[in-house]
Amino acid sequence: MTETVIQTRDLTKEFIRDEFHVVALKDANLEVRKGEFVALMGPSGSGKSTLLHLIAAMDRPTDGEILVLGENLRSLSDRAIARWRNEHIGFVFQSFNLIPVLTAIENVELPLKLTALKKKERMEHAATALKLVGLGDRLGHLPRQLSGGQEQRVAIARAIVTDPDLILADEPTGNLDAQSAQEILTLLGRLNKEFGKTILLVTHDPHAARFASRIRHLEKGELLPEGQVPADYTVAPM
Amino acid sequence: MFRYVPLMLKNALRNRRRSTLTILSIAASLCLLGVMFALYRGLFLAPPKPGQELRLVARHKVSMTQPLPVSYEARIRQLPGVREAMVWQWFGGVYKDARDRRNFFARFCIEPDKLFRVRPELEMPDEQKRAFERLRTGAVASSDLAERMGWKIGERIFLTGDIYPVNPELTLVGIFKDPNTNETLFFSYFYLRELLGAGPRGDMVGTFQIQAENAEAVPRLAKAIDTMFENSTAPTKTETEQAFALQFVSFLGNIKLYLMIICAAVTFTILLVSANTMAMSVRERVREIGILKTLGYTPGAILFMILGEAGVIALMGGALGLLLASGMTAALRQGPTFVGAMRTLSITPDVGALSLALAFLIGVGSSLIPAWNAARTSILEALRDSG
Ligand SMILES: Nc1ncnc2c1ncn2[C@@H]1O[C@H](COP(=O)(O)OP(=O)(O)OP(=O)(O)O)[C@@H](O)[C@H]1O
Ligand SMILES: [Mg+2]
Repeated sequence: MTETVIQTRDLTKEFIRDEFHVVALKDANLEVRKGEFVALMGPSGSGKSTLLHLIAAMDRPTDGEILVLGENLRSLSDRAIARWRNEHIGFVFQSFNLIPVLTAIENVELPLKLTALKKKERMEHAATALKLVGLGDRLGHLPRQLSGGQEQRVAIARAIVTDPDLILADEPTGNLDAQSAQEILTLLGRLNKEFGKTILLVTHDPHAARFASRIRHLEKGELLPEGQVPADYTVAPM
Repeated sequence: MFRYVPLMLKNALRNRRRSTLTILSIAASLCLLGVMFALYRGLFLAPPKPGQELRLVARHKVSMTQPLPVSYEARIRQLPGVREAMVWQWFGGVYKDARDRRNFFARFCIEPDKLFRVRPELEMPDEQKRAFERLRTGAVASSDLAERMGWKIGERIFLTGDIYPVNPELTLVGIFKDPNTNETLFFSYFYLRELLGAGPRGDMVGTFQIQAENAEAVPRLAKAIDTMFENSTAPTKTETEQAFALQFVSFLGNIKLYLMIICAAVTFTILLVSANTMAMSVRERVREIGILKTLGYTPGAILFMILGEAGVIALMGGALGLLLASGMTAALRQGPTFVGAMRTLSITPDVGALSLALAFLIGVGSSLIPAWNAARTSILEALRDSG
């Protein structure tokens, strides 16, 4: 039996602002094992990002239990959570989120600055990560000197540079053309197969979801049981 | 913590134009602040000039313009701890054409046989001293003055009185060296009395200068002299010459207060400029702060980086400002100097360090609020920011 990486029980997140009351996620039960590549799908507003943020401990749940890499996230302090995220989680955004004044390698070095590594080692690690994503010849480029697909690859390099156990990607291909999207998904697939990284991928795109070993669907804040899809879900022909 | 410095520097300079303007305005303010500090230091905190340590000045308690009976001198000299006491009377008057600034220099009536004991820092050959004591109408000038006026021994110097209705006709009998490079002419108080003739005017003098035997005696003497004349018709106020000299600056008003007000206003200006820059700069980067937090940066690290950035900008402005201030003090030293402190005005290391430290503190202080807010913003809120 393989190790459980993510386990949630009745995980619930409500947003209350003034008279607004949104249940973004309701009683979600999700289990992801080490080495799995799971895709999270669902229409806009169904709670995909919310679930991902809770798993990355970027937000705190309203109710329910959440165990990630054996850590009960609800019991950790903010400081401890920051360190934990730095060590164990790689997060990839739809909009790349690179720091514009830093070069590719400096962006990738950022998470390593929180470790005990020396400058030289940090640079070596960052260069290795960039080579892995195929950008070994773009180390000194600023984000604006890169294409969207290249920027996203820098972001992936940044997510993997600390050698995290879990990679969380929120629509990483959402801003990319088909060609670049394909490259990113292939890269994620490689990270999963060759390096054994556990990956949770949020996507709208059924084609993207095919790279995953397993798909879970969300609808209106509810995580549908394994194998079940929303009523109006159709897979577009390739 | 040093590993955050490169990002701090990059952030400080990322909006070139804004940073440049901020640095320039901080520099301008700090230049002013540095000059003010230097002035304050020169006026109020300078070490005593050569010869000043043991010298006291006694004057009328009410005001410098009220005279004291000349008979006080003998009574002061009897106090234990007094090495010498002497009349010190401002003569004023006019030399040649008063409209020519070049003809302005200090003229005092003193006692020739005591001058060099009360002011031991002055140096003059012995035979000139004896000539000065012998010749009733003799005068001595500082070498700086004699040189500027082109005077030689034997020069005839005619003064026209204004405070006193007399016109001394003097002969230069000596030229002394003054380490303080003052431009001064001394002549005999007894000659002045003679010109004034019999009458109360000659029996009254402006001040006495006293040379104490040692440093320990200085504060004791000041008190003893004032106590001695406390209940007379002309009570005295006795203080060190250094403290006394500051009175001449007071024609500028309460200069200490002015300096403080200017410094406070300048400080406040830097505070506003820096606060404004940092608020804008943080506002633009909320999203990046969210990214850093996602990568595991703690609120403390974020706080440190933003405060550091403000500190860097303030220090750059401060360093530039001090450079300007040194140029300015150099220029002021060359200019007309009516106050002694101006002649030695400079950005000393302590003044420089104080100014820089103040700039740094202001920079950091002004960014506390935006930095604190940024550090506290939740990740998701920060990431949603479109700035
Ligand atoms: N901070 C918030 N305050 C209030 N409501 C929120 C907040 N964040 C999310 N929501 C709401 O929670 C619900 C789920 O949002 P979520 O971002 O998880 O959807 P999503 O599945 O990621 O959608 P998309 O595909 O458009 O990214 C939505 O109705 C959204 O409006
Ligand atoms: Mg989303």
